[in-house]
Amino acid sequence: MNYDVLVVGSGIGGMESALKLGDMGYKVLVVEKEPSVGGKMILLSKVFPTLDCASCISTPKMAATTHHPNIDVLVYSEVEQIKRGQDGQFIVKVRKKPTFINQTLCTGCRQCEMTCNVAVPDQYNSDMVARRAAFIAFPQAVPKKAVIERAGTSPCSFTCPAGIKAHGYVALVRSGKYKEAFDLILETTPVIGSLGRACYAPCEGECTRGDLEGSLPIRKLKRFVADTRYRENAGPDGKPVAAPSGKKVAVVGSGPAGLTAAMHLARKGHRVKIFEAAARPGGMLRLAIPSYRLPKDVVDRDIRNVTDLGVEIQTGVRVENPAALKDKGFDAVFLATGTAGTRRLRVAGEDLAGVVSALDFLRDVNLDKEISFKDKTVVVIGGGNVAIDSARVAVRLGAQKVIVQYRRSRDEMPAHDWEIAGAEQEGVEFRYLSAPQKFIGKNGKLTEIECVKMELGKPDSSGRRKPVPVKGSAYRMPADVVITAVGLTPDTGCLAGTLELNQNGTIAANPETMQTSVPYIFAGGDVVSGPSMIVNAVGQGKRAAFFIDRYLNGEDLAGVAFEEKLPVVDKQTVINRQQSYRNLAPVPGREILKPGVSDFTEVEPPLTEEEARYSAGRCLDCGVCSECHQCIAACPADAIDMSMREETREVEVSSVIVSTGFKLFDAHLKPRYGYGKFKNVITGMEMDRLLAPTRPYNTVLRPYDGKVPDNIAFVLCTGSRDCTVDNPLCSRVCCMYSVKHNQLIMGALPLADVTVYYIDIRAFSKGYEEFYRQAGAMGANFVKGRVAKIDEKADGNLILHYEDIDNGGQLQKAEHDLVVLATGLLPNTEVFKLFSGEKLAADDFSYVKEVDEDINPGQTSIDGVFVAGTASGAKDIPDSILHAGSAAAQAAAYVERIRMSK
Amino acid sequence: MKGEVRDPREVIREEMVMRDKILQILQDGPKTIPEIAEALGCPPYEVMYWVMGMRKYGQVAEAEEDGDYYKYRAAAGEGN
Repeated sequence: MNYDVLVVGSGIGGMESALKLGDMGYKVLVVEKEPSVGGKMILLSKVFPTLDCASCISTPKMAATTHHPNIDVLVYSEVEQIKRGQDGQFIVKVRKKPTFINQTLCTGCRQCEMTCNVAVPDQYNSDMVARRAAFIAFPQAVPKKAVIERAGTSPCSFTCPAGIKAHGYVALVRSGKYKEAFDLILETTPVIGSLGRACYAPCEGECTRGDLEGSLPIRKLKRFVADTRYRENAGPDGKPVAAPSGKKVAVVGSGPAGLTAAMHLARKGHRVKIFEAAARPGGMLRLAIPSYRLPKDVVDRDIRNVTDLGVEIQTGVRVENPAALKDKGFDAVFLATGTAGTRRLRVAGEDLAGVVSALDFLRDVNLDKEISFKDKTVVVIGGGNVAIDSARVAVRLGAQKVIVQYRRSRDEMPAHDWEIAGAEQEGVEFRYLSAPQKFIGKNGKLTEIECVKMELGKPDSSGRRKPVPVKGSAYRMPADVVITAVGLTPDTGCLAGTLELNQNGTIAANPETMQTSVPYIFAGGDVVSGPSMIVNAVGQGKRAAFFIDRYLNGEDLAGVAFEEKLPVVDKQTVINRQQSYRNLAPVPGREILKPGVSDFTEVEPPLTEEEARYSAGRCLDCGVCSECHQCIAACPADAIDMSMREETREVEVSSVIVSTGFKLFDAHLKPRYGYGKFKNVITGMEMDRLLAPTRPYNTVLRPYDGKVPDNIAFVLCTGSRDCTVDNPLCSRVCCMYSVKHNQLIMGALPLADVTVYYIDIRAFSKGYEEFYRQAGAMGANFVKGRVAKIDEKADGNLILHYEDIDNGGQLQKAEHDLVVLATGLLPNTEVFKLFSGEKLAADDFSYVKEVDEDINPGQTSIDGVFVAGTASGAKDIPDSILHAGSAAAQAAAYVERIRMSK
Repeated sequence: MKGEVRDPREVIREEMVMRDKILQILQDGPKTIPEIAEALGCPPYEVMYWVMGMRKYGQVAEAEEDGDYYKYRAAAGEGN
């Protein structure tokens, strides 16, 4: 699309230029980086010297600009580049930032804001109060549409293989919304209690707080959420099930992948039946994980999240021919049989009585088979988590001695550190750098193990140093029981003729769609990936369900995106958002570990509610929006669209007006005034916000303690006319906006004393001198003298040290209960980066240079580019409007001139 | 003023944790910022962020004045 004129920035100058050009009949594009037009003026209380309401003056212009038939406005957008094309026109690239809320559907009702669980500083209230991640910029915003601030995907959520919104449920726990947190996790998986106990929590490894005092206990928070919900014994939970689709799906295996897929498919309205080979459902959750880590009533309750949806589970059924299920009326099959087989050691004597595989052993224990190891020596062979689980279970079965034999050293052990430490504390012994050579028995029953010592050689293909037997180091170790835990394998032999398998026996499935070589058979979980994490299986189950649903609906599978995430937020960027951090120590982990423990009581105590809220409160909100989805639930217009992405547009324009405004001096750069450190030292803009009808507080109050101030000081020329901060210029508005504040305060707080510390009062324009004198007449005390420094008292009051020029130049002190720093204006130098190919010249003070200011106001160094308002220098509002009018006239003349020349 | 002045972003973020505690304190009746701060054991300038955030989103509202201070009461759905 082509326009006559591009206006960059929609403050009072930009709006004025656009409106004048629009009225003349030119097609104008206004690009504004904020979600609303209006610039800084709309944030002011009143204007000087008339004390007219700034909103009353701004809002008609804001509405007129956005609704003008000749003006298009792109808010929440940024000009990326302006470059002149070959025909003399300017080619403009505009980046439209995603608002994540459909701007056509949004009614501005603020329901998303009210329910949002992330509080961030409100930049439209000078950071004096919170706004939400979902927000409408300010009450008079035009357009009055909400946006959601998303800096990217939070590292915890990004790294979760299942796509669980970890940041989302952490934010909900922080807000005390436990049911909502449960429902958010349930959007992904039904095995919430199980994950809350047994997930390896890759999210915690990525938590940005881990770079400070330690990561959040994200897994334990999940457990807290599940326990809280399950304690209420409520249900069914989650989204309602869709109308019946008439399709039937068989899920083979009831582990985390199968249960997750079944839940998602049932929600879509498909009739789902799970076939489970074992006597009870739950797969590895029930059969492999010891109940001191994951109590089986938790698995049962997790499974209820699936069966509540109408999913049928048939146990004791081993499906050897999934293709036959098609003949039984199932339209699709999902294979999620896990790794039910165990790798053999290939050591002589492995078939002796007393030698068992870890999986068989754990399965028997978990299915309540009576086993006693009383007075027995048990040797567990292996170094993974299954080995440690087996050893800790053996302790609980009364073994006299439990030894874990591992052929490498502890450093190479794949089991988690905390599991090894737990086993040690429960009395398990470890024999590192040792391997079995032969199992020796008597009458077919194991009696001892022939072992050999190992040493570490060069790294093998896994990167770990390869264990090598030490010659002549053979020794024997007595043992009554050996539990082999050297790896799990899929039990897929029966599928060989039906499905394409990988060399290691796993099922070959498309990693995107989980579809196998037989179109109606999908597979996921450990039977595809090999032994992995529960949360990986959950992710594959969810993914498979998505594509099975598409398959059942006759939709394409190829090239379809599944759960695209925004890029992960850079952790350093998150940390840099704050100047300092309070040390918020993690809640200490404190498993209950006893030597020789003999029962299966859960070893990890839950977080208390207070610990959970505290822990969740440590979250840094890396992505800003937590993706808690509460806004989606609350929005009556169904306008939330988390899939929205950034767009770049290219437009051609004949002329450009830059009206990019100014920046305010950062008062932190005058440390002697204590801004940021002393809470009752505020800036002029902050006082404007306190006085505005849309103020952050209920009236003018001290930020220190909410006291109504009664003795307020103004310090003029803060950061202007000051070579120590490299700004020798007068900002032209500080004297008069301070006088405005004086009058407004004396109106709002009639008993308050107002003192102004000044160098000289610059009341140069029409009515300004009278306005100044009026403030004096109302009672404002004007003290000629620069403030040297400010000290703070224990009650938050402030002591100003100043030179009293009118009384002999004495150094004086005065106490006030609120100090306003009349901060100056600075150039916005961002504008110079916009132009490519031609350089937009700056003046000596880094404002946009007007090359012929006296005769051609607004004309810049680039032919066809004009400047409006404070982008070319500090101005008050009337001067900005006047200047914007002249820039509009210049741009119109330029457009006509090039038309005539063609 | 005693103690550290924390980064406003950190204090503001805590509104979500402090909200229920503040509402609990206000169950005994309206209170000023210093009174709430004392009950919480937190600096009043931090309580300002939380109470004003809650006021903006309708969980508290100003009640009567008490000397130089306003009292705030628990409210429901009176956001502005």
